[in-house]
Amino acid sequence: MVNPSRSNAWEDIDPASDHFAVLGLPRQYRVARDELEQRYLERAQAVHPDRFAHADMAVQRAIMERSAAVNESYRVLRDPVRRAEYLVKLGGIDLDSSDPAHGAPAMGTDFLVDMIERRETLEAARASGASALASLCRRIEDEAEDVFERALADIEAGRTRAAARLLVERRYLQRLLDEIEGATTR
Amino acid sequence: MSDALFQIEEPQAPQARRRAPGRGIGIDLGTTHSLVAVAPQGAPPRVLVDDQGAALLPSVVAYIGDAPIVGEAAKQLQLEHAEQIVSSAKRFMGRGAEDIDFHHPYRVVATDDPASKLLRFDVGQGRVVTPMEISAEILATLRRRAEAELGGPVDGAVITVPAYFDDAQRQATKDAGRIAGLQVYRLLAEPTAAALAYGLDRRSQGYFAVYDLGGGTFDISILRLKDGVFQVLATGGDSALGGDDFDRALADALLERAGVASPSSREREEARIRARAAKETLSAAPSVEVRLDTLAWSTTVTRAEFEQVVADLVERTAGPCRQAMRDAGVRPSELDGVVLVGGSTRVPAVRAMAESVFRCRALDDLDPDKVVAYGAAIQADILSGSAREGVTLLDVVPLSLGIETMGGIVEKLIPRNATIPIGARQVFTNYSEQQTGMVIHVVQGERELAHDCRSLARFELKGIPRLPPSMARVEVSFELDADALLTVTARELMTGVKQSVEVRPTYGLGEHEVDALVMESLDHAEDDYESRNLAEARVELGRVVLAVRTALDEVGHLEALLPPDEKAAIEAALAQADEAMASTSGLTAVGLQERRQTLERISEPFARRRMERALRAGMGGKSLAEIERSIADEETLETRRASHVPDVQRPEETP
Repeated sequence: MVNPSRSNAWEDIDPASDHFAVLGLPRQYRVARDELEQRYLERAQAVHPDRFAHADMAVQRAIMERSAAVNESYRVLRDPVRRAEYLVKLGGIDLDSSDPAHGAPAMGTDFLVDMIERRETLEAARASGASALASLCRRIEDEAEDVFERALADIEAGRTRAAARLLVERRYLQRLLDEIEGATTR
Repeated sequence: MSDALFQIEEPQAPQARRRAPGRGIGIDLGTTHSLVAVAPQGAPPRVLVDDQGAALLPSVVAYIGDAPIVGEAAKQLQLEHAEQIVSSAKRFMGRGAEDIDFHHPYRVVATDDPASKLLRFDVGQGRVVTPMEISAEILATLRRRAEAELGGPVDGAVITVPAYFDDAQRQATKDAGRIAGLQVYRLLAEPTAAALAYGLDRRSQGYFAVYDLGGGTFDISILRLKDGVFQVLATGGDSALGGDDFDRALADALLERAGVASPSSREREEARIRARAAKETLSAAPSVEVRLDTLAWSTTVTRAEFEQVVADLVERTAGPCRQAMRDAGVRPSELDGVVLVGGSTRVPAVRAMAESVFRCRALDDLDPDKVVAYGAAIQADILSGSAREGVTLLDVVPLSLGIETMGGIVEKLIPRNATIPIGARQVFTNYSEQQTGMVIHVVQGERELAHDCRSLARFELKGIPRLPPSMARVEVSFELDADALLTVTARELMTGVKQSVEVRPTYGLGEHEVDALVMESLDHAEDDYESRNLAEARVELGRVVLAVRTALDEVGHLEALLPPDEKAAIEAALAQADEAMASTSGLTAVGLQERRQTLERISEPFARRRMERALRAGMGGKSLAEIERSIADEETLETRRASHVPDVQRPEETP
């Protein structure tokens, strides 16, 4: 594994570049799973701190930074939802920010009312037992999946704002699902 | 390094860490027993034994004589001196009094620092020890065992920790290593170590679960093995669940059966020790005879009865297993095997649980007591720089890391099961022009509210420039290294004004305390004479310098006590001593001793005159040494306070 021809491979990795560049992948949603894993393992090995245990402190510092960048890139890109949200972020909209210009788009009143009603449905299902919860859960899962597919279509067509809106919608649905899971495992 | 919790990045001279190939050791620091193994220069790992041929060193330390006694001898004394003989120190590592929900016979000393929750035990004879110091005695014993085997000093060690250990527990372990005089190459998760030993042994590929139930901790890890890469996909567990709890549960059941409602400390200890022996016997036999001498009572326990007593405890391991599978995104049908690790997996009910949760066969052909030490030794060999065929370990952080925000809500910055090293950044803004500082509370855990998570540390950002609200922007970077230990750095984005960070680790030792303990442990080291002597000589010289300087500060201006020419001579000797103390190389213990003797000789008349004056002034009753000491103590305190002046962070360019 300690391949001399690759010993400086870490210098090619710029920790400040985007996650796709860090792993050497094209900036797009469709990523072959195997290729992602392969690239990650290669790079994670190339910048692993254990390989530089004898290096001077400055190199160790640089390695830490690159190793952290490779791991963070992998964490974000291997998860389809995080990958989609990240593409939207690269397109200029950060779903984790509340900035009016570059943050998550504000959701309309209709949508919020709809969510409140769903929460009431959840309460009712919770009261009427496990099977009601399970069927509600499946329904919301299907819906979240559908919303996500539409978001992906928007991403691929370059409609960042539309994609952002759908991804926020998916987040709301996901939160409901998490609550249901919390209710069933409790 | 304890302060490393929040050590601020400082420019380091480019210097390579020197390592000695083949001189790395692997230590499994366990709750009930510990082991050391070596695998020098690519050799297969082997566990080292003591002069009695025993591989397992009971993790028990007795504080009854001058020097602590470690291991079997200490264990034998346990019943006689319950409060002075500490076992299961691992369960106290990085914990506070409020975390300890089981019975133990030790006297906990209240700390005077309200910000610190570090546990300290009074073990008699005025001796107060922390869990780190207790663990350090065990580590030092194993280090000496390895030195005897290797025929010279150990270069460094890989110490294993439960995968589920949080930052405070890991930090405590690393501090213990340092106190034991070890360079800690790496803290390695126990299940990962076990996987390394198994994987290399069999050249395995695929998905594996490692089920590790030790004396005091339970870990579950899901790994993928591929082409020499050991990638942990998810980990989970319970850092306060293990075979010890089986012993306590059975002990309670025995005492109940014996009709003892409120057992004495001694009766409880005996019941626990006998329960443990009974548990071990029941792994092979259908029933066992248990006798409690303190109660002059005996009974028979069947395996079925034992299993009923521990059923709830065994069941508690199932939840983390299922969660880890979910987190890893791996189904039981995809698993190629479950590796059993830890002595408690010898209990048939535990084994059955692991096989049923993962629906696959258990691998236990490597000794479950030794497999973790094997893995640690392999990793230590790699890190010592030997030419072993490379393997790469990709491990994860077991618990999410976050900060407390408004209303006590946790904002997660690094999610659990993220591969380490990893970092996160967060920008904080001021809420008013008057605000020049802010307190940041770092926590670890999965709960929504900060007070339900582990408090790691609080630190204060100071020196925020006076800017209109939201204009001052402080970026705080959190970084988890390959040991899953946290470092925090900060910089102000708008003005580039230097940031200062002052940190109080909640459960840890301060850096100075660790240093002092390192020195102390060097004092006690039986071998490595030169470094021990050097350390002693430095301490001695430092003590004399401090005493003389204190005297100079106090009364050095009184010519009646100190004529100018004598003062000049003392100052010259002090300067020489300072130079010697500051030098890091080329000085021998003898050189330091000579300087100390010179300083003592030159300052002796001054000291004598001072003492006479003190006695005349009616300070009789106290010896000069006492006076000196009290002054020196104050001085040390001052020095400590002074060095807690916040570290300064240099702003970097924004990328």
